[in-house]
Amino acid sequence: MRSSLVLGLGLLLATHVAAKAELVVGAVIPLSGASATQGEDQRRGMEIALEEINAAGGVLGKPVKLIVEDSGGRVPSALDAAKKLVTVDSVSAVIGEYSSGITIPIGQYLVQSGKIHLNIGSSSNRIRDLGATSFSVLGLEAVSSKFAAKDVVAQGWKKIVIVGPNNAYGQGMASGVKEELEKLGATVMSTLLYTEGQTTYRRELQQAAQMKPDAFVYSAYGKDAALMNREAFELGINKTPWYAIYLSMCTADSQRETVVGQYGMDLNFVGPNGKAYEEAYRKKYGMSFKTSFSGYGYDALKLLAAAAGKAGSAEPAKLREALIELGKGYEGATGTITFDAGRQRSEQPYLTLKMGQNGYEPR
Amino acid sequence: MFDFILHVAIIAALNGLLALSLNLQLGYAGLANFGQIALFGAGAYGAALAFSWGFGPFAGLLLGLALVSLLALVFARLGRSLGADYWGIATLSIAEILRTVATNETWLTGGAQGIGGLPQLFGFDLPGTLALAAAALLATYLVLRGVTQSKFGLAVRLLREEPQLAASLGYDLAGLRRRVMLISGVPAGLCGFLYAHYVTFVGPDQLFASETFFIWAMVVIGGLANHSGAVLGAVALQILSASIPFAKDALGLTSEYVAAARLTLTGGGLLLFLLLRPQGLLPERIGSVRA
Repeated sequence: MRSSLVLGLGLLLATHVAAKAELVVGAVIPLSGASATQGEDQRRGMEIALEEINAAGGVLGKPVKLIVEDSGGRVPSALDAAKKLVTVDSVSAVIGEYSSGITIPIGQYLVQSGKIHLNIGSSSNRIRDLGATSFSVLGLEAVSSKFAAKDVVAQGWKKIVIVGPNNAYGQGMASGVKEELEKLGATVMSTLLYTEGQTTYRRELQQAAQMKPDAFVYSAYGKDAALMNREAFELGINKTPWYAIYLSMCTADSQRETVVGQYGMDLNFVGPNGKAYEEAYRKKYGMSFKTSFSGYGYDALKLLAAAAGKAGSAEPAKLREALIELGKGYEGATGTITFDAGRQRSEQPYLTLKMGQNGYEPR
Repeated sequence: MFDFILHVAIIAALNGLLALSLNLQLGYAGLANFGQIALFGAGAYGAALAFSWGFGPFAGLLLGLALVSLLALVFARLGRSLGADYWGIATLSIAEILRTVATNETWLTGGAQGIGGLPQLFGFDLPGTLALAAAALLATYLVLRGVTQSKFGLAVRLLREEPQLAASLGYDLAGLRRRVMLISGVPAGLCGFLYAHYVTFVGPDQLFASETFFIWAMVVIGGLANHSGAVLGAVALQILSASIPFAKDALGLTSEYVAAARLTLTGGGLLLFLLLRPQGLLPERIGSVRA
């Protein structure tokens, strides 16, 4: 016991030496726990960005340093990590987390400590209230919901069933899309939030099919998405149109034949920067995007490096000014990033896609 | 660095409250509560609900204590007709049911998005928060030590060792369990309240069953039926858990190891102690009752 305490203290001291001039960025993301799939994907995005930045000589004449910490999907561990990054590693900025429930407390702490916070995974509208040094690189709920609802109604579908995971992401997505659909005159017949990690979703699917909607609007990821798509295919429920919010995330793990014909929207990864990023991701990890979250990690780190280069400093206050300046139209892998007055991404270009026999097709 | 140490100390003190609470149930009374995190949740949601209805922290504390007492009575009521093992399973189910309710009753609890923006007690003053948490821990320690050194404490141990003998001697087993649950509910609820105001957010992700086992690990590693042991276990696990990221930096490991190391610490630590040193770091002192 005593020896591990001594070891712990020794390690605390050993890591306390950090040079001031270089850009040191921290990240708090879920590498274990319920959201580990998305967290790992966020890390991949940041890793690709880090390699690109440092291959090009870094910023401020030095390589950028990225310290990634696991939140475990738990608030106490995430706070431990954020406080360690700020008070021990003296980072200028922290990127993270994924769940709104964790992003909010760590964001509040970072703002109170005067550090830059970049949200790359949470879409709760409450993120807007975090404070002066907090930025969102992804559009909050309202932005993607509005786009998807408009696209769904444009297909002539009026009676909709919404399907999503029963977590912070799914609940936010479902309520946002419902609100926007109803504004456009469509009817949401039912909102079906499933418990993640089940061995079958037949009951949920059959229940949803009984409503006989014009279309299903869904968002799902990982094994749950693959299983649901396969079972919908087996039950013949895929005869009704399915509209995916983030089509690549919803279908990445699914067998192609079960998802052909699905409609959807996705991040714009065919723009000049997006295409290059998609290729870098495929080359490094040997697959297409696992979730739609890696791109935000990539953009966040690139944006910070650009801001440090522009400001000629890694001071949070100067980074903030530079971020606001860059946020008037920064070309990222997820499209043009424009911050509104509240430092949130105000609009985001999305793609409208359809799944064909040979992959995603633009509509 | 100093702020980080204060933060680690605050969380350690709050964990200490949960460990003391579980220790009274599990260590002294032999009540294997697998739903301990729900008692914490009652306190945390008490604070959050009062805040969302526009009341101050004091009302939140009262609401949290009312909820935790109610839940403690429900747990105790279950124990009347169930054997110890089955009781443990029932507590786990109740905790899971409450988590499901918290996830789905969006109108009340904010659903998976939780309730955020609670004010921090003492503004953003870490030393003040630490003083409050430490005072709560010390008070709980003294009260529980008094309780277990009383005649009631002896009866509770008899309930653990020989329930049938206790019944034959005229002890009201159901009444004993009820009092144990009510007494141990208070520090758990208090911890939930303090935690909610410290992290300023309450959500269902804080109530996963794995959190209960984290508390179990503190008590088993520290020493069952020893108050100092429970506190020591809570402090040791928090320090170890908080120093894993430093070990990663110093040894140049990738961040995946941190995730794995933290899980190993709880599960592996629990297993090692159960196998090799079941009495924990500080074992129970037999004959320590003065009454």
